[in-house]
Amino acid sequence: MSAQQQILHFPQGGNISLTPNEWQIWNGLDEGGLPDLGHGSCNVLVPFSWWIVHHQNPDVLAKAKNGQIGVWFASDEDILKHAELIKEGKQYWPLVAAHFPIFRDGRSFSTAAILRDRLGWNKEIRMIGDVLIDQLLQGARVGFDSFELRQDQDLDVAQKQFDLFTVTTQNSWRTKRSLLKDSTVCG
Amino acid sequence: MYKYDHIDQTLVDQRVAQFRGQVARRLNGTLAEEEFRPLRLQNGLYHQRHAYMLRVAIPYGLFSSNQLRTLANISEKYDRGYGHFTTRQNIQFNWITLEDTPDILAELAKVEMHAIQTSGNCIRNITSDAFAGVAGDEYVDPRPICELLRQWSTLHPEFAHLPRKFKFAVNGAKEDRTVLLCHDVGIELKKNSSVNDGELTADIYAGGGMGRTPILGSLIKQGLPWQLLPSYLTALLRVYNRFGRRDNIYKARIKILVKALGPEEFAHQVEGEWLHIQNGDDNFTKAEWDRVAKHFTKPAYQTLPALSNEQVITKANEADKIAFTRWLERNVKPHQVPGYASVILSLKPHGTVAPGDATTAQMNAIANLADHYSFGELRVTHEQNLVLADVEQAKLFELWQAAKEQHVALPNVGLLTDIIACPGGDFCSLANAKSLPIAKAIQERFDDLDYLFDLGDISLNISGCINSCGHHHVGNIGVLGVDKDGEEWYQITLGGEQGNDASIGKVIGPSFYADEIPDVITNVINTYVGQRADDESFIQTYRRLGVTPFKEAAYKNKSENAKTKDKFEKSLGIAS
Repeated sequence: MSAQQQILHFPQGGNISLTPNEWQIWNGLDEGGLPDLGHGSCNVLVPFSWWIVHHQNPDVLAKAKNGQIGVWFASDEDILKHAELIKEGKQYWPLVAAHFPIFRDGRSFSTAAILRDRLGWNKEIRMIGDVLIDQLLQGARVGFDSFELRQDQDLDVAQKQFDLFTVTTQNSWRTKRSLLKDSTVCG
Repeated sequence: MYKYDHIDQTLVDQRVAQFRGQVARRLNGTLAEEEFRPLRLQNGLYHQRHAYMLRVAIPYGLFSSNQLRTLANISEKYDRGYGHFTTRQNIQFNWITLEDTPDILAELAKVEMHAIQTSGNCIRNITSDAFAGVAGDEYVDPRPICELLRQWSTLHPEFAHLPRKFKFAVNGAKEDRTVLLCHDVGIELKKNSSVNDGELTADIYAGGGMGRTPILGSLIKQGLPWQLLPSYLTALLRVYNRFGRRDNIYKARIKILVKALGPEEFAHQVEGEWLHIQNGDDNFTKAEWDRVAKHFTKPAYQTLPALSNEQVITKANEADKIAFTRWLERNVKPHQVPGYASVILSLKPHGTVAPGDATTAQMNAIANLADHYSFGELRVTHEQNLVLADVEQAKLFELWQAAKEQHVALPNVGLLTDIIACPGGDFCSLANAKSLPIAKAIQERFDDLDYLFDLGDISLNISGCINSCGHHHVGNIGVLGVDKDGEEWYQITLGGEQGNDASIGKVIGPSFYADEIPDVITNVINTYVGQRADDESFIQTYRRLGVTPFKEAAYKNKSENAKTKDKFEKSLGIAS
């Protein structure tokens, strides 16, 4: 996964901004184990599947309690099977991420929607992987609020995607569907 | 019909602006074709054999004369003077350039039309009964629900990248004219006497489809109150989005998931998800129903006497009586309101153009007919014909004469030559074989109207490949183009049927060469004629006798034809 140096943030009800990326995505496969976080240079997003196995390891727990560990969900992760573990994770993880192996694989849109709708996750959800300009708006509407775009994506163009539409015809995490001004009871 | 409010209009205008930006990035090279592809598809733009094809939505098949004039203008200005009406209530233009597309979409937006989600792995144009609101057998007018669902599904962010395309059909009549069971989701609307004294409810069928694995949908939910459709459909689509296969394009439709899990388990998983979201504020409200439903009121019908066909025929002069009577029998349908009828304009002239095609001049003329005879509204049918839904019976003869001038009055609706066909290998880059020359050859072979009338109701559907856009699986006779070693062959299925007794046709055996098809169809038809009991339709005879006599007849000339072909190829020195 090639990471952009800048992360695009668009918090719910907030403004769009770019900040340096402080979160390294780890694939969980490196022989050396969890990356060294001792220098304070980086926090790490670990695969949720790795967290399931290792979260009781004292070193991992210590780093997690220190706010240095978040998790990322693979696109085929059935997060509802681990709802309790995710709810527990709320006390440790400053953010979670959901991965797009290819931009047109929409499973992680449902992952984000479930995290917001059903699991009550109210902190940051980051869109990672093959994240392209033209899927940002969809991501922002289902529940993502930070975006690690693929290296070649133009961040200036990316920042202009979120206000292309001033109306919507279905509810989403960010906004309710638009209502006519003259309709009085559209609750 | 539905009129856009400022929300709908703003949305389609902003969608055009978004796509204009995407096209500009494609043209300046900053957006790769692979990444642009789903974006253009979800704006209706395919890349075909010769050019781009633009598919424009006619939501639930209803459109106005003014909209048809815009389609006519587009066909003249940006295409080659015609458009092709499809089996899913869309119209396609075959000769479009990428550079023109944003301007075309902007012209469509001016008349409240769009091409949003007419392609791509998303919720497609929602189809319904072409006779909605006027059909004599209707128990619920499906159009308000169709429009509410159109709005709900438009640019739905969670379901913009499903494993595969996703098609809804909505029916509210006794007779199914929507091919409901061949859709990913079929919604059957009912007035339910057991819920709130006649509340509108929906039965949900899931997992139907054609293509490589034709399957009829399974009933997974009964009596769903209409307000809860958004949350239930969200749950259903969420299960599909998460667990539908993405490793194999041919196994990615919801039907494969429903089949793999079993309909009960699929329904159970949907219920499990729905339980958590069913009370959310996604659901439709009474205020929204009122906002939309007010557009689907009855037009200003006059109080007229109901006329019998005999009375209608008295308007015709002696020379026209036989032809006009035939048209009344085949192309005119009963109406809910006394003194009115619905008229089907046949886009299936024999052997001249592709089924479903209309020229610029025809579109303009038909728009005028709609203004004169049917309150300025039209419908497009699943069978690729056009409907004037609200015609005064007393004006039917006048309309027939005008329709004849436009060559859209052939009385072949529901007959053998009312062929459903996809554009096939002449245009489509997915096709294995051509469909249009086959349709033409069959129409030329069966050009005798007396004979066609005698044969009665028969559906013949042709698809140029297994994607089944020509719905061959549900034709009484289905013709499927297949590729064998670079040659075009045609496989025949028999016994398919749409409607309430829907069934999937059976493949009868090895495929045929194109030039054998008219003889094969003749042999199959002759078997029916020879074996039918009184008043028995083709499908009834087929169901009584089974496939065997038809199959034997179909292959009767097979060896002879093969020999002829061998001889012909030897004479050219190309035989193996």
